[in-house]
Amino acid sequence: MDVRASVDSAAGAALSGQVGGPPKRRDWTPTVLLAPAVIYMTVVGFYPLVYSIYISLTDYNPAQGQLGAFIGWDNYANAVSDAQLWHSLMLMGLFTLLTVSLSLVLAILLALLFNKQLPGFLLLRTIVLIPMLVTPIAVGIIWRIMMNPGHGMLNFLLGFLGIDPQPWFGSRSAAFASVLLVDVWEWTPFLFIIILAGLRGLPTSPFEAAAIDGASSLRIFFNITLPMLRPVIIIAALLRIIDAARTYDTVFIITRGGPDFATDLASIYLQRVNFQFFNLGYGSALSWIMLLAILIVVLFFVRWSGFLGIVSEKEPA
Amino acid sequence: MQVNRRSVAIKRRINAAVAYVLALLAVAFFALPLFWIALSSVKSDADVSAYPPVWFFEPTLANFRELFVKLNAWDALLNSVFIVCISTILAMMLGTMAAYALARFSIRGKESVALQVLSIRMMPSIVSVIPLFIIARELGVFDTPWLLIVIYALNGLPFVVWVMRVFIQDVPKSIEEAAMIDGCGRYEVFLRITLPLVVPGLAAVLVIIFMFSWNEYLFASMLTSSEAKTLPVVAANAIKPKAIAWGLSSAAAVVMSLPVIILVLSAQRYLVRGLTLGAVKG
Repeated sequence: MDVRASVDSAAGAALSGQVGGPPKRRDWTPTVLLAPAVIYMTVVGFYPLVYSIYISLTDYNPAQGQLGAFIGWDNYANAVSDAQLWHSLMLMGLFTLLTVSLSLVLAILLALLFNKQLPGFLLLRTIVLIPMLVTPIAVGIIWRIMMNPGHGMLNFLLGFLGIDPQPWFGSRSAAFASVLLVDVWEWTPFLFIIILAGLRGLPTSPFEAAAIDGASSLRIFFNITLPMLRPVIIIAALLRIIDAARTYDTVFIITRGGPDFATDLASIYLQRVNFQFFNLGYGSALSWIMLLAILIVVLFFVRWSGFLGIVSEKEPA
Repeated sequence: MQVNRRSVAIKRRINAAVAYVLALLAVAFFALPLFWIALSSVKSDADVSAYPPVWFFEPTLANFRELFVKLNAWDALLNSVFIVCISTILAMMLGTMAAYALARFSIRGKESVALQVLSIRMMPSIVSVIPLFIIARELGVFDTPWLLIVIYALNGLPFVVWVMRVFIQDVPKSIEEAAMIDGCGRYEVFLRITLPLVVPGLAAVLVIIFMFSWNEYLFASMLTSSEAKTLPVVAANAIKPKAIAWGLSSAAAVVMSLPVIILVLSAQRYLVRGLTLGAVKG
């Protein structure tokens, strides 16, 4: 009994990581396991961020020979009156809102469709997943080729359906719509797979009860399916919002931010300031402003969607 | 009674038919561009920009030859493989250890970890690219594969920690406790008991962070110039000039995307669990 008890308490103490009680030796295991990751993140991740804040307070611009004299908040003050910045932030917000909403609706419809266990659907579902795996640069290449007004596949297909050829990059609104279309194409599968998994995980009894009661499919969807899917939809949307705000690769390849800055999303504008004009001090300040903007968008969404309620429900004890 | 049964069966047939039509439409929407680019990559220059588009032609590997020989895509491919493999392994090792620690021990402040991980995700890459650009030049690691390895491992770490923690929590503590009572040390339990039980999770996470590192462009383009270029960078450079070479860039797109597609589709079963656990449970 004695040996058993002391082994049990030793195991118990090691398991809970708690000090105190008969075994006085500190269990270093959690520290040893956690330390490498923490040190790594601090050195490689945290330190550059701190450095970035410092740079944003200087006028560092190697292209113009400015070597980083400390100028305090000047960069941020100038940013406030930078119309280009606000334009790009506005585009970022609009783009995020539209692409997430559109792909969410499409993803839900797809999930409902592919939830059916029909033969061959597994293969079809697998094919639908591919767009989100393709390198974003490649996605840009693909669609830029397809959207070519004179020789592109897309206008050819439209001609088949009797629709006039579209100037995909010709006008400002067309370019924005084109870029939206590509993003929806690329990322709907991501939302689709998450929502499908959520659908699969729903309990069957409410649906069976509704079927017995003779409820129509539409009512079942809006009154049962959708409310039960809400947590999954919100989390998926949040993940997508965070990524959509930072979209860069695909838009860069397709329009370079044009025409006439119609698709000049924040990330593209920032890249230009930093690595075309090498205005790194100012550019650093802008990047922090962009982060702040994303945070605001996320906070707004979290508030509006009731995300925090969902998280506290799911927190393991 | 009989009429009812038949009409129910007919209704089911119609529903299934409609479902198939819709499913095929969806597949067409998502797959057609991919099919088209694969087709374009084996077309000659004349065929690729022909209008109306040609469907039947003599396939040629000239584009791929040009890609690998003229554009040095071979070096870029090797760079990508080297950089992404090592950074993925690094992230998996550090991240899984940390995830185990967070899952099994009560540590001060661990509840805020999930929130911290989420906020790291919100960071636009450009915020870190600028200081890393400057630091890398000063340290002399600019344009070396080691720089990208270190950065990609960092990018993947939070995801590994977040998702593996959930998988490890799913392994019952009693199994580990039993082993420990039998005399196993803590690290032994981790390596020989816990890890084998979370292999599906490891596979899913590995494939996902591999994919994100492989497809990464911003860091790669800003922090390399001639030696350490990865595939996306070379491909993007191929279309810088105003007139984009369709055949060449199609071949580049195919070469870039094929490895990940093959990898992910073969690990598909594990992936759905991995992605959704990260999103739904995390």
